[in-house]
Amino acid sequence: MTKSSPPLQCAHPPSRVFQRDRLRQAVPARRPGALPVFLAFFALVVGCAGAKVAVPIQFPTPLVEKVPLPIGLYLDEALLSYKHEESLEQRGDWEIELGSAQPSMFANLLTGMFIGYRRVQQLEGSHPDVAGVLFPSIEEVQFSTPEQSRSDYYEVWLHYRFKLHDNRGAALGAWDLTAYGKAHKQNHGGDASALQQAAMSACRDAMAFFTQQFTTVPVVQAWLAKELGAAA
Amino acid sequence: MNRRRTAMRITQKPPNEASPQTGPSAVRKQTNLDFLSTDPKFKRPKALVRASGHCRTLAAVLACALLTGCVTATVQEIRETDTAMTGGDTVVVLGRRSQPTTDETELDFITCVADNLDRGAQGLNVIEEQQFIDATFPWFEPRIAPLNNADLPEIIKQLPLARRLDQMQLKYLVWIEGSTQRIDQTGSMTCAVTPGGGGCFGFLSWENDSSYEASIWDVETGQNAGKISSEASGTSYIPAVIVPIPIIARVRSSACSSLANQLKAFISPS
Repeated sequence: MTKSSPPLQCAHPPSRVFQRDRLRQAVPARRPGALPVFLAFFALVVGCAGAKVAVPIQFPTPLVEKVPLPIGLYLDEALLSYKHEESLEQRGDWEIELGSAQPSMFANLLTGMFIGYRRVQQLEGSHPDVAGVLFPSIEEVQFSTPEQSRSDYYEVWLHYRFKLHDNRGAALGAWDLTAYGKAHKQNHGGDASALQQAAMSACRDAMAFFTQQFTTVPVVQAWLAKELGAAA
Repeated sequence: MNRRRTAMRITQKPPNEASPQTGPSAVRKQTNLDFLSTDPKFKRPKALVRASGHCRTLAAVLACALLTGCVTATVQEIRETDTAMTGGDTVVVLGRRSQPTTDETELDFITCVADNLDRGAQGLNVIEEQQFIDATFPWFEPRIAPLNNADLPEIIKQLPLARRLDQMQLKYLVWIEGSTQRIDQTGSMTCAVTPGGGGCFGFLSWENDSSYEASIWDVETGQNAGKISSEASGTSYIPAVIVPIPIIARVRSSACSSLANQLKAFISPS
């Protein structure tokens, strides 16, 4: 571009203002992609990145002895749209989107654990085709980055609460479940990838813990005794 | 119990490092002997062939010395029971990922060992780690995975899992623990860019230390078949006079290939 600009041909030395104007003409036109590249570079240098991640929806199905009862699942709007948002000082804004993964997570979990599973659209009312209705909710989410914990890991903690209703809509009881997931920073290319993996691991841990814990919860034991006794 | 202990000490250049044929500094330069190879009918005198071969060998040795640092690797094996693989038997290599810990085996190390076991004329049938963990969910998740071989029979008693392992024809579980750490680092380097050009000046060196242990569990008997440990250490250097020249010791790669070779010989002795 500079080469193609016409040479200066002045009889007298050009004034400073004129020189500046000529120089402006000689500067190549700004490319449209230059600003985003500069901003990305600036963000990288300043280091206030943060991350926005969504948990993937691929979950395995548990390989366990099935409970010989069909179960219903109620997912409310609060769970389906659940996002954890947090601003960290000098580390930007962080967001973990968990809601969109809940339907497939619970579908796979209950398909593996029960002989039958069905989503119900309301908690109240009668559901004669299932033995009970499970109503999960996320009570709290926490996460930490390697900078915060002075470790090599991104970590995520999930606190679920499960409510069990009978098939006529009556509440039988509730219990809590805490899950944990981590991802080593060396295995991932950046904040987002590592945080996503830690959140995914926490969801898988919640599923694994649920399969182990379910039949040991007193509320569930009473419900199973009643339903299976009635079935026998 | 048949207990045998063998130890090997190897000072080696890892096999998968930049070879003289593929490395960037090994680009073949035009020499005054090159015209000889263009005519297929021309038979090169033995002396010339020998001289050319020596040049290439020297260049290869120099390139290797310039690009890679030396690695010292030690492999130890403890055998508890006899092992053998038949036709469709499979093996899985798993990394220990217990709950909060500061020492987790690198994912690419697990993949490296599995790939090396799978490769070659005597390669084993290796199931990919994530595929195995998903297919046996939740039994090998960090919360539930057996911590020692005494826990294995309890888990395998679960009928759905036992059926799945039968389908997979899984014979051995190989658990890998350990990691590679940077244990020492010295020197400094300064780089500058000016309108007339740029360059670096200084000297950096660091020492990496790998320490891994593989426990081989027999899935049929629930017994520990043995253990293999692989340790490797090496120092990497970057001298810089205008252009930095990295001389990297591939410590983890060396620990991986040593461990995989020993595992292959342990599981399927021929």
